[in-house]
Amino acid sequence: MKVWIGLTAMLLLAILIAACAGHVWASPAGLLRAIAGDHALRSRLLFEWRLPRVVAAAFVGALLGLGGTIYQGVFRNPLAEPYLLGSAGGAALGATVALLVPLALPQSWLLPLLAFAGAWGATVLVIGISRVAGAVDAAGLLLAGVAVAAILGALRSFLMLALSDETVSLQVVLSWVLGGIQTPSWAGTGWLVLITLGCLALSLTLARRLDVLGLGEAMALAFGLDVRRFIMLAVLAGSVIVAAAVAFGGLVAFVGLASPHVARWLVGPLHRPLLPASALVGAIVVVLADAVARAALPPAEIPLGLVTAVAGGPFFILLLAQRLRS
Amino acid sequence: MSVLAADNLQVARGKSTLLWPMSLNFDATESVAIIGPNGAGKSTLLKALAGTMAPTVGQVRLGRRNLAELPTAERAQSIGFLPQHFEPHWDLSVAELLEIGAGRVKSLAADALEKTMAAFELGGLERRRWSTLSGGERARVLLAMVLVVDPPVLLADEPVASLDIRHRLDVVRALADRGRKWLSVVVVHDLDLAFSFFDRIVLLAKGELIADQLAARLVDDPRLDDAFGVRFERLRTGEGWHLRACR
Repeated sequence: MKVWIGLTAMLLLAILIAACAGHVWASPAGLLRAIAGDHALRSRLLFEWRLPRVVAAAFVGALLGLGGTIYQGVFRNPLAEPYLLGSAGGAALGATVALLVPLALPQSWLLPLLAFAGAWGATVLVIGISRVAGAVDAAGLLLAGVAVAAILGALRSFLMLALSDETVSLQVVLSWVLGGIQTPSWAGTGWLVLITLGCLALSLTLARRLDVLGLGEAMALAFGLDVRRFIMLAVLAGSVIVAAAVAFGGLVAFVGLASPHVARWLVGPLHRPLLPASALVGAIVVVLADAVARAALPPAEIPLGLVTAVAGGPFFILLLAQRLRS
Repeated sequence: MSVLAADNLQVARGKSTLLWPMSLNFDATESVAIIGPNGAGKSTLLKALAGTMAPTVGQVRLGRRNLAELPTAERAQSIGFLPQHFEPHWDLSVAELLEIGAGRVKSLAADALEKTMAAFELGGLERRRWSTLSGGERARVLLAMVLVVDPPVLLADEPVASLDIRHRLDVVRALADRGRKWLSVVVVHDLDLAFSFFDRIVLLAKGELIADQLAARLVDDPRLDDAFGVRFERLRTGEGWHLRACR
């Protein structure tokens, strides 16, 4: 219980700090005025631009935490991460197409849509390949994932070379690939919240079977788990979650890898508590990292993925070292 | 009536036949040891009986029903299976492992967990993590998590690795003792233990069923020597048998 209160309190504190941070720092009182419906320009800006983005960051982080936990559970490998099965490459390809190919739809729709389709499509492709190859186990999936990621990466590089000119700069594509929360409208944020809650419910239905799978395949079979089918099901579920995160937040490095570890230290390896705990940890990390991305080098914005990798890496190594020593 | 039966069971993988057709019947209460030299197909037979390896020909019946057509949850509830090697991927605590084991059934008697903990002398170990347990403790935890739902059938591959002689004796004895109340089928690697503690012996060699007899009867059978490719000197001891192999 203490852990849950602590994590929730930390998340609220992180949201408060992040909402204050930015090119122009706001005071908590100013925030309150903005939420209360003040009409001054500063309050409007805070309410329309900064707050939805902070909330979006929290939920993107939660999605990454969930996705990472599912992937680590399925592959029974603490090094597994949500972008493992080509979803990052697929998402990046989708985003590149949205940014560089002139299409009729408005980009604010097209980008998340194609990123989602790319992330999910790549994973489905990987599953299909491993099925055709007859290697429907974790190792077969991994190999297919590596191959598909390489192909998609090459395609994206080609598109970037062939299609970029003076009007669409490569920088736009690159900054998306490096991760960054799009500032959504409040309606968009509402969708994100709904999707995240749905994903949480979905992942909790997998929790017990992930625990059984963690006993090893021989034991899982004896405990009545249809191992092959469950791996497929869980990978599909995980990839939907990751695709949703990618659609709203681009490719944010490291959070999906690290959150489950931190959560495991806090609540243990059983998946029913682990999944929500990992979502909370992911949310805290992304909210803080997004605040740094916005506020560290005004007026420029650092890509979020760079912040999470640069700040998260050493922090994670420290935690790991401390853990291994004790 | 037999609670578990193999009808004309055959298992092949690719071009190699792991088990040649054999039929076996097991009663609701007996202890059976499966013995045989390396590569005899002991583990394959056990997996086929447990329903985790599909037979190529024939079927395994649980009661009157074909095991392959049984819902997996029901199978997991009725058959407890102990693999030879067990290493959880996450460093779970003893309580968590038992909880996962108990999750095989929808509802469990309120005191089942406590009773199991007591039966396997696991009191005080609830919060200990798997990585900190000794070999003997691990074997007891594994037995506890498989038996917490009290399955009428227990199929076990004797854990030979990482157990010292006393713990090995304890484990094999516990497995055999279960045969007084339920069915217990165990792959036993130590012939002395097999002949000393089990009612009935199934002898395999090269994937074929060589003999299926009461232990007291089979111990003098020359087929035993042939199957293992040695000559046994059989010594009657206070507790059972000692088989010394000579060339």
